[in-house]
Amino acid sequence: MNKIRRNTAVEMIEHWSIALSGIVLIFTGLGCLPLYKRYFITELPGFAWTGNFFTVTQVHYISAIIFCSAVFFHIFNHGLSKEWGLIPKKGDLKNSVKLILATFGIGHEPPSDKYLPEQRVAYFGIGLIVLVLIFSGIIKVLKNLELVVLSPIAEAVNTLIHTIFGAFFLLAFLVHISFILLFKDNRHLLKGMLTGWVSEDYVKRRHSLWYEKMKK
Amino acid sequence: MFLSRRQFLGFSALTGAGLLMPKESMAIAGKFATIIDLTRCDGCKDELTAKCVSACREYNKDRYPEPVKPIQTYWPRKNYEDWSEKRGKIDTLTPYNWIFIQKVSINEEDFHIPRRCMHCDNPPCVRGCPFGALTKQPEGNSVINDSLCFGGAKCRDVCPWSIPQRQAGVGLYLKLMPKYAGGGVMYKCDLCKNRIRVGKEPACVSACKGRLGDNSAMLFGERMTIYSMASKRSKEEGLYIYGDKQNGGTSTLYLSKIPFESIEKAITEKKDRIPMSVNIESKIEKDINPLGKLVLGSSILSIVGGIAYAMNRNKGGNDKDE
Repeated sequence: MNKIRRNTAVEMIEHWSIALSGIVLIFTGLGCLPLYKRYFITELPGFAWTGNFFTVTQVHYISAIIFCSAVFFHIFNHGLSKEWGLIPKKGDLKNSVKLILATFGIGHEPPSDKYLPEQRVAYFGIGLIVLVLIFSGIIKVLKNLELVVLSPIAEAVNTLIHTIFGAFFLLAFLVHISFILLFKDNRHLLKGMLTGWVSEDYVKRRHSLWYEKMKK
Repeated sequence: MFLSRRQFLGFSALTGAGLLMPKESMAIAGKFATIIDLTRCDGCKDELTAKCVSACREYNKDRYPEPVKPIQTYWPRKNYEDWSEKRGKIDTLTPYNWIFIQKVSINEEDFHIPRRCMHCDNPPCVRGCPFGALTKQPEGNSVINDSLCFGGAKCRDVCPWSIPQRQAGVGLYLKLMPKYAGGGVMYKCDLCKNRIRVGKEPACVSACKGRLGDNSAMLFGERMTIYSMASKRSKEEGLYIYGDKQNGGTSTLYLSKIPFESIEKAITEKKDRIPMSVNIESKIEKDINPLGKLVLGSSILSIVGGIAYAMNRNKGGNDKDE
């Protein structure tokens, strides 16, 4: 079976750095809420550290180093290289609905480019959440370092925004994972993100617009 | 729009210099501070309740929690923290008692230590509260917003003195998922925020002055004045100071004629729930801030890296997406 390169090594490193550090950020972010002691997580073997808020925060920061680095590299690398294929286009919302309905056997999937319309919508949504989290997180860091001095209200609002968008990030992550697990056809995309390659048959069938461009 | 190599180096050097700033505390100290002079405090031995304690209770009585009962347990745990039946308890900190007199006996001499929030320069309770319910005010006091507090008690866990106290059955958590998250509201001294904002002293300080006059065990004033006063008395009278270095510095300075190590030992031996350790490093400054600098530094480096990588690809005409 012929294969087509979908993701470069750099793109895969970007994605998995963000994904894995993002998972640790979610876990330690929840640990920054006083939940783990209450729910006995601290009593699980190997999880005693989750009861120490300073250790949890340290792990959160270490993950943030990887997360922020990968996100900023991603933005500047692809932004300046004019690789804007994941930026939403007109009609993406409508086509995403059509695509999701088609996976349930209702109607037909619209022909897609390299990225599915639902991927572009998800990218925009997750991207927005990530940017708010990074921005509010960096303000928290700057505030702790006393490089910026916020008014008490501004500090409270920033903290609350970071916590609320942390919850949105968790939800977005769960939706992202369920789209891979629930819709069989999306597993080709997971394979593409793990190996860099997808089968030509899959591309021909689902990403016909991209396939035609490549053949030109 | 791309930077030249020289500009890149200059930018990186500037960034590096910024991140290598001094490690010691740069905390914004706040306007006011308090001296608590243990050589003068006798715990109001001739009074039923120490003046500072009764003044605090009187001034703040309208702010004490009125829990909705029956109070639910912190599921799946079987406990909850309820002090509402012990409102009269004045020998420790509770949601209904924000200052107390800690009594210790050292070499057969009694010491009376008024204990309340130290109002740290870089308070871990404020920095750690995930809901932004705690704020540090320009006056130097840290304040809990009881309408935003979820009562998770993280502030008490990160406080080196375990100052904030929780009352279940009150607060925002009751309106969301009272069974599964939140535990009430945290309460502690806020240095009488509304009084000091308009130039008055905290109620405890006024009450102490009312009893002891010029020999008051509590002095409140401009931070610089208070700090120099404490330093002067320490030098002239050989007194020990507590609170200037602990947790990176606070706006509460205790003065004592005996070393605070002895006081710490006596409190520890008593197994009092409000400790007074001498060696308290600011964990935010020691453990968290260096990593914060790395977050900033690596973010800037990755931006530079992303730009350089894109420039290189644009020059080389590598394959691109769409």
